[in-house]
Order: sequence, then C-alpha cells, then structure tokens
Amino acid sequence: MDYDALVVGSGIGGMESALKLGDMGYKVLVVEKEASIGGKMILLSKVFPTLDCASCISTPKMAATIHHPNIKVLTYAEVEQIERDPSGRFHATIRKNPRFVDEDACTGCQQCEMACTVAVPDQFNSDLVARRAAYIAFPQAVPKKAVVDRPGTSPCTFTCPAGIKAHGYVSLTRSGEYEKAFNLILETTPLVGSLGRACFAPCEEECSRGSLEGPVPIRRIKRFIADTHYASGRPLGVQPQADQGKRIAIVGSGPAGLTAAWQLRLMGYGVKVFEAASVPGGALALTIPAYRLPGDVVAQDVQNLRDIGVEIEVGHRVDDLEALHASGFDAVLVATGTPRSGRLGVAGEDLQGVAPALRFLEDTKLGRAGSLGGKHVVVVGGGNVAIDAARSARRLGATVEQVCLEQRREMPAFDWEIDEAIAEGVVLHDGWGVASVLGEGGVAGIALKRCTQVFDEAGRFSPAYDETVRRELSCDAVIVAIGMGPDTEAFGGTVRLQRNRTVATDKQTLQSSVPYIFACGDVVTGATMITQAVGSGRRAAYMIDRYLSGEDFEADAFDARMPKVEPADVLRRQKSHSRKDPLLSGKETLAEPRDFHELEAPLTEDEAHYSAGRCLDCGVCSECHECVNTCPADAIHLDMRPETIEAEVGTVIVSTGFKLFPADLKPQYGYGRFKNVITGMQMDRLLAPTRPYNKVLRPGDGRIPDRIAYVMCTGSRDETVGNPLCSKICCMYSIKQNQLIMGNLPTADVTVFTIDVRTAGKGYDEFYVQSKAMGVNFIKGRISEIRELQNGNLIVRYESIEDGGGAREEEFDLVVLAVGVQPNLDTRRLFAGDELSHDAYYYVEETDEDLSPGETSIRGVFVAGAASGAKDIPESILHAGAAVAQAAAYIEETRVSV
Amino acid sequence: MATANRDVREIIREGPLRRHEILKVLEDGPRTVPEIAQAIGAPTHEAMYWVMDMRKYGWVTELPDPDDDGLFSYRALERKGA
Ligand SMILES: Cc1cc2nc3c(=O)[nH]c(=O)nc-3n(C[C@H](O)[C@H](O)[C@H](O)COP(=O)(O)OP(=O)(O)OC[C@H]3O[C@@H](n4cnc5c(N)ncnc54)[C@H](O)[C@@H]3O)c2cc1C
Ligand code: SF4
Ligand code: SF4
Ligand code: SF4
Repeated sequence: MDYDALVVGSGIGGMESALKLGDMGYKVLVVEKEASIGGKMILLSKVFPTLDCASCISTPKMAATIHHPNIKVLTYAEVEQIERDPSGRFHATIRKNPRFVDEDACTGCQQCEMACTVAVPDQFNSDLVARRAAYIAFPQAVPKKAVVDRPGTSPCTFTCPAGIKAHGYVSLTRSGEYEKAFNLILETTPLVGSLGRACFAPCEEECSRGSLEGPVPIRRIKRFIADTHYASGRPLGVQPQADQGKRIAIVGSGPAGLTAAWQLRLMGYGVKVFEAASVPGGALALTIPAYRLPGDVVAQDVQNLRDIGVEIEVGHRVDDLEALHASGFDAVLVATGTPRSGRLGVAGEDLQGVAPALRFLEDTKLGRAGSLGGKHVVVVGGGNVAIDAARSARRLGATVEQVCLEQRREMPAFDWEIDEAIAEGVVLHDGWGVASVLGEGGVAGIALKRCTQVFDEAGRFSPAYDETVRRELSCDAVIVAIGMGPDTEAFGGTVRLQRNRTVATDKQTLQSSVPYIFACGDVVTGATMITQAVGSGRRAAYMIDRYLSGEDFEADAFDARMPKVEPADVLRRQKSHSRKDPLLSGKETLAEPRDFHELEAPLTEDEAHYSAGRCLDCGVCSECHECVNTCPADAIHLDMRPETIEAEVGTVIVSTGFKLFPADLKPQYGYGRFKNVITGMQMDRLLAPTRPYNKVLRPGDGRIPDRIAYVMCTGSRDETVGNPLCSKICCMYSIKQNQLIMGNLPTADVTVFTIDVRTAGKGYDEFYVQSKAMGVNFIKGRISEIRELQNGNLIVRYESIEDGGGAREEEFDLVVLAVGVQPNLDTRRLFAGDELSHDAYYYVEETDEDLSPGETSIRGVFVAGAASGAKDIPESILHAGAAVAQAAAYIEETRVSV
Repeated sequence: MATANRDVREIIREGPLRRHEILKVLEDGPRTVPEIAQAIGAPTHEAMYWVMDMRKYGWVTELPDPDDDGLFSYRALERKGA
C-alpha cells in the first residue's frame, strides 16, 4: 500500500486531518487542486470571535503540513477517481496538472509574474484585482512556487504551420514590447517582414475573435513588429551558440532553406546556402509580386541570416549532392522548392508569346519584364499564382482576361484575391479549359472549351469537358499558371524521388534515402505556402541537429503544442463581450493599377495596440516567453505535461469544503451590475493585510466608504434560491468585519440589515453585543431592492420589521452582501463503484450524524469540515478530529483483516 | 456611473494596454482614480482595476493621505518590464 490515508482537499479540515493522522504515524497523501494549500481560511482577514489574524494562525499549519515527515502533498492536482476494492482498500487515480515550473528550482521571487504579459482576474482576491498568467497564488502560498496558467495552446499558435507563437507576439505588442515580439518570432524564423506581408495567415481563420466581429489581424501585427524593428536600426538581439565544429550545406534559399539555415546557425553549426538565382529568398524574392511583398523587405529579412554568420552564395546551381558532402559538409539539406511551371499539353503551347507564370513573375519582380502597354494578355489558371500573374500583367499595362477550369466558388485562390483582381480590371472567365493556343509564329488567340467538371465524386482532380461548347479569345500573350513542380532530375541518381519528382523523405525526420541528406519545404510536399515551408525548415534543422549529435531523432518531441483551447470554451469564459470592430483591410485597389507599390497600408502604433487589445488570450498563457527569459533560476519549463499518478490507500478523507453563493443569483441586489455592491468574501480580502487595494476602498472609484450596509442571509434561508438552510457563518463574519471596519475607518457608519442575528457558539453573542456597543446599527428588515445612483452610491429599499413596519429607503456608499455557503459538487464524481451519498442539499451525507459524525455511505471513507455542511473554523477542526479517529480505527481494522 | 458593465475578465485583460495611457497621465503628477479615468476617457470602476493592477505590480504607489473626499492619489514609480 502506498499511503495509509488519502486526504482530498487541504483547507483547514484537510490540513487538520492530515496532521493528526501524520502525528499518529500514518502515511498520508494530500491532494489539493489549487496551487497552494490552505483553503479559504488563509485568505481571510481575521477570525471571529478572537480577532486573531487568520494568516498568522493558518501559516504554521500550512508549513507543518508540507514539512511533516509522514505527509506528502500534491498541489495543483486533482483526484480523478477513487475505487474501493474487496479488501477494503482504495485505488486513487490522480491527475497532476503541470505547473510549468520546476518546484525545486523556483525560489518564489515572483519575477516571472512581474514580467508576464497576460492579465486575468485574481481568484484569490475574489476578482477585485488582476493577477498574471504566471503567478504565485498569494503571498503566504505553501508551497511558495510559481505556476503558469495554461489550459492549452491558443488556436492561432496551434494552427500556425511554422510554429510561431502568434498569441505570444500579440500579447507582447499589447504590452508595447515590440522588440521582444520581434525576438520571439526570431525564435522560429528570420523572415518576419516577409511573413508579415505574404503569409496567408491560417491563424486568423482559427482566431476565437473571428466568431465575434472578426479575427485579430495577427499577420498585420507581425508586419508592424517587423517594420518597427527595421525602422529602429537596432542590431539583432540573438547570437549563435558556441561553434559545434560541423558544417551544413543548404541547397535553395526559399523560406524553408533560410529557416533551416537560421536555426542551424543559432545552434552553432557552420551553414552555407547555395542559391541558383541571382538573389536569395526563393519565391519571396522571385515570384511573389512586389505589391504584396517588396523586394527590400525580403532583403532585410535575409540580412538577419548574414548578421549571424550564415554564408549565402547566389548564382550557384547545385546538381551534385554527393560532391557537396565530399567537399566537407557534414550534412546536406535540399530545399529547392517547386520552380517548374506546369504545362498545358495543347497545340500551340510553344508559340512565341506563351510564358510560364513563374518565369513571367520572376522577370517582373527582378525588373526584367518590359511594358505590356496596349497588349492583351490571357492568364490561364485559378490559383494564387494565376491571380498574381494577372494582377502583375495589369500593372505592366496590359488588358487581362483570366481563364480557369473551376467555377468561381471552386477556385483555389482566396476570395479576397479574386475580388481584388476583378477590382483591378481583370476579367474572369470561369468554367473554361484550354483547347489550343492559336496563331502562326506568335500568339494570336486562345481557343476554349466548356469545363463541365473539375473534380470527380471522390474529390480528385479529373476535369471533363463539353467539346461542343467553344469560344475564342484573341490576345497577344498567354501566361500559364496551372501548377508547379520540383526540378530534381539531377538529384535522382543520389536520393530516392517520388513519382511526382519530389524528394522522398521520412515524414517525421525529413531524412532522405541517404542518411546525411535531408529535404524540406515544397520540394518534399509539392507546392504549399510560405508558412508551411518555414515549419518544414525548422523541423529539418531540429532533425539534422539530432542526426549530427548522434542522438535518437525523438521526432515526437519536435511538436511542443498542447491540445488546442476550443474557441467556444474561450467565449464561454465571459458573460458578455463588448463589440470591438476589426480595422478595415488597409488596401486600396485601383481599377487601373500602374505600378508595383505595396498595396496594404501598415498599422499605426495605435492601430496595432487596438488590434492586439482585441485578443481574448485563449490559452491564458500566450507563450511570449517573458517569464522563461526573466526567471533567474531557469525554473520555467513550458514543455511540462500532465502526469497521472496511481496510489493505493487505506482510507479516504473527503475535505473538499464549500463554495460561496454566487451573489448575482439575487439580481435585486445588483451584484455584478452595481460597482459598489460587493460580497462578504470580497470585504474580507479588503480587510486582510494582503489586500488588493491600499485600504478599504470602494471598487467603483477608489473612495473610502463612509456609510456601509450589510445584507445578511444573501442566498441563505431563502427558498427563492432553493436554499432554506442557515449558513451559520455569515452573521458572525459580518459582525467580525463590522468591528474591523470600525478599527480601519473610524468615521464610518455601519448598518446591518438582518432577519435575526444568529450567534450560537462560545463567546459569539458577547461578540455581537460588543459590536452594537461600538456603534454598529442592526436593523430588522428585508431588502426588497437596491438601486445605483449616478455617483455610485446605493439606495437600499427595505421593509422594516420593527418600529411599525413599512417600506423605507436609505443611501449608502458601499453594500456588502453576506453571502452564504453552498455545497461543493466536486464530491459527486469522486468515487467509482460505490456511491458516496449526498443529502437533500447536496452536501456529503453523514450516515449517522449524531453518533458518528464524519462517517459516509462508503465504508472507509470519511468526511471532514464543511464538505458535509456549513461549519466555521473551530467546528471544522473538531469535525476533522472525529473523522480522523474513525479513519484510524478503519486503517487498523483492515490491517488486521488483510 | 450607472453604465452597463463589461465582463471583469475583459476589463482586466486591458490592463497592460491601458497602462501606457495611465503612465502618460501620471507624467503630470499624482492623480486620483476618478481623475485618471476622466483623463483616459474610461469608466471609473474600470480605471480602478487598472490602477490597482499597476499598484500590485509596482508601476504606481499611493500618496500617504487621502483628500477631503476620501480619495487617494497615485504616482508613477520607476519600473521596467511588461
Ligand atoms: C507567385 C506565388 C505566390 C505565392 N504567394 C504566397 C503567399 O502570398 N503566401 C504563402 O504562404 N505562400 C505563397 N506562395 C507559396 C510559397 O511561396 C511556397 O510555399 C514557399 O516559397 C515554399 O518554400 P520553399 O523554401 O520550399 O521553396 P522556394 O521558395 O521555391 O525556394 C527554393 C529555392 O531553391 C532554389 N533552388 C532550386 N533549385 C536549386 C538548385 N539545384 N541549387 C540551388 N538552388 C536551387 C530556388 O531558386 C529557390 O530560391 C506563393 C507561391 C508563388 C509561386
Ligand atoms: S521567476 Fe523563476 S524562481 Fe522566480 S518565482 Fe518565477 S519561476 Fe520561481
Ligand atoms: S510565457 Fe508569457 S504569457 Fe506565458 S506565463 Fe510566461 S510570461 Fe506569461
Ligand atoms: S483571440 Fe488571441 S489568442 Fe485567441 S486565437 Fe485570436 S489572436 Fe490567438
């Protein structure tokens, strides 16, 4: 058996149970779902009726629990299930949630919290103030260790094929940390400015804000970050690691090759890139038109590589991969993309005036294309490349018609691109195939036939035509953009190729049939997108490093994502979302575009801020890495994952405590609507030494309140909310608070509205009498309504029970709702097999409350503290004693019988 | 003050964004929460969340005594970081 006892929950009932059992010599396992033990008591100001400081008497118990030689404490962990076996022992399955912090290394210095860029309500301060995604639960937390609130990966980051921490750079931008945002993207790729413009942004399609008014403009924020960095003229904030003494050749300088080069150089490898073209950048530099991606932006991105020592040789076509290896490179990476344009295979295709789109785009981007003024051009194809070619031809002065097999809705190009092309005067003929190119010596026109189907029933590309429906277009030139393929014949003798001439690699490791040759990007996958090529380049670098260091690939470890946080769950976290409209696209298209200037306007700083401010912090932690970079103990490890722990135990004590009544269920009191209506727990926080404000202040405006009202029995003794029970503690905590307010705010007037005050307990009534003597005004009356005035003051309307009755109204600065207790329903799903019985009010049922308090419906399972009904601190401690005595007897009994 | 309330989570999320505006206001000297709210054009109770966030994380601190209306003024502190 692993432990004699399992204690579920570590409030005062749980700690007391564990300590008593531990002192008796039993081995105890305590499981607490929060990041600290201590329950609600540690959050209180003082305790009634002694007015001892709550944290002064709690912290020694917390310390004793965690340091007890017989007690093992698991915080931030949840019991998933407990099952009793026939011998009377219990098998518990416990989920240890990842803290993302190495508890042994963390010193509790809180620097991570100070640096963190995500703010959420602080549940340990009853939402009166913010905490951070990285946080220490409260100043007296035990263990005093940080935890990162990270339920999963944000949809944007999860979706990015490149592996860029999209949410991270959005949250850094919101905090005004643009340079850090730039550095965060550099962790993935040096191509920040290019991606900020030409990425098709799959992240935005998944953005949770998309189902409200429209997604966060994640890509344009990246462009803002890049432009801000480059405009600042700052040197790069990253440096390669120490030299590894090994060299890698990379063939091809597109986004895949350059990203791999960047990653490998940062790891300390010598890297040389060979590029056949006259400029580096692959499709970025050669084919993506300048109005979408200006050449100088690509050049700035490429300079990042040179700045860390990557060698790039242009005008060097590589055909012999083995020769590269023989010349001293330890590994070779092929990243040559898909530079060949697909052919139509029709008569007339080789006429003068027919050009493949990639050659046309390259000539255009490198300034080699002449004017097309007065010319008539037909572009064939329905994808992004065809659109780029058509719009480029418009800019060179041509009139342009575009022909494609697909109906418009089926076209692979994005809708917005098609719209923009049409707005720029491109005339689209959808649903046509090419029969032949017409002309003698040179192009004179193009013959088309009706396309009746592009894809077959299985969704495969399988065009069918009605040969009887024909038309002709006259033109001076035809640009063919019907697909792209790799140019790998020269490599065929060295590495295995697929039938479509892409390089065959292991999907995970990207290793080719020759161990020292790897391949990545479109030359492996066929034509994709920049961001996919970047992700592939990053993966190749990771794998080449493993290969060269002689380690197992451990390919699974490359993908560090957690499960995606679902947008629907994100939206549910809030009761309402105020409207924050997205910015307009920032593009102005002209019907007669005549030059290649960049079409999309940059975001201003205000726009970038506003847009980043629309982010919903889906995964809470944004993975901005500020904490990781700040922590002096190197304690933060975002790669931690949940662990499942199985434990066999002799007995179980359920001490999961209670919940507080949600005060907004009494709408007539205005909680959640009126700023100066708070709960009793919130007032306890305002009175505690670790309070969220600098004094007892109104949350509405920070003013010291003069007239304070208490509304007793909020949610208790109230059939309208389904709870006829008295909560026992609210009268007494209110009286305690009344006395503390008198001490804190000597000029304040305190009025308590009550049905009757219940003060059963030693010294309790005296405490009540004392507070009356201090000037607290107790009024017997029922509150019918509270109204808010323009200045935040509150009008309390009540039916007086004394002094002849009648409705009265009184004005206050602050109203405190003395909320009652509710059962914690977590206990209902703790046990498998035997049923843990609950009473009519859903508290854990004690089968014989009078004679053996603490005993439950399952033999060997006991309940301690408020899990079985409302109790104050002394009662909970007493109750824990009763549960412990029986638990000890049960352990001995089963020990004898087993 | 009787305006529709935004969700607390949404208000608090804006803290890091609003901090820049608030620090700008405090460049002219200490201010109370209602004064800050007015200067940045936000509801007072929302400014309260942001100022208390900034106080918790060391961006501002209160002057020792409240004014006659029971309001404290807050001044900016030297601090770096997010
Ligand atoms: C017109 C056009 C527009 C596009 N627009 C977008 C867009 O807006 N957004 C998006 O996400 N994606 C876009 N794409 C797709 C995107 O460009 C590709 O997915 C991406 O560039 C693939 O990267 P890569 O590194 O694998 O290949 P490439 O970018 O093609 O790079 C390969 C490089 O290798 C060089 N090379 C080839 N053979 C050799 C050799 N034997 N020796 C040495 N060097 C060699 C090539 O010259 C080239 O520089 C577009 C593609 C085109 C053609
Ligand atoms: S910065 Fe590091 S050592 Fe300090 S509290 Fe955070 S995790 Fe712990
Ligand atoms: S990665 Fe960023 S957002 Fe996440 S906890 Fe660390 S500092 Fe906060
Ligand atoms: S709301 Fe923010 S975190 Fe969520 S998907 Fe959009 S950008 Fe990412």
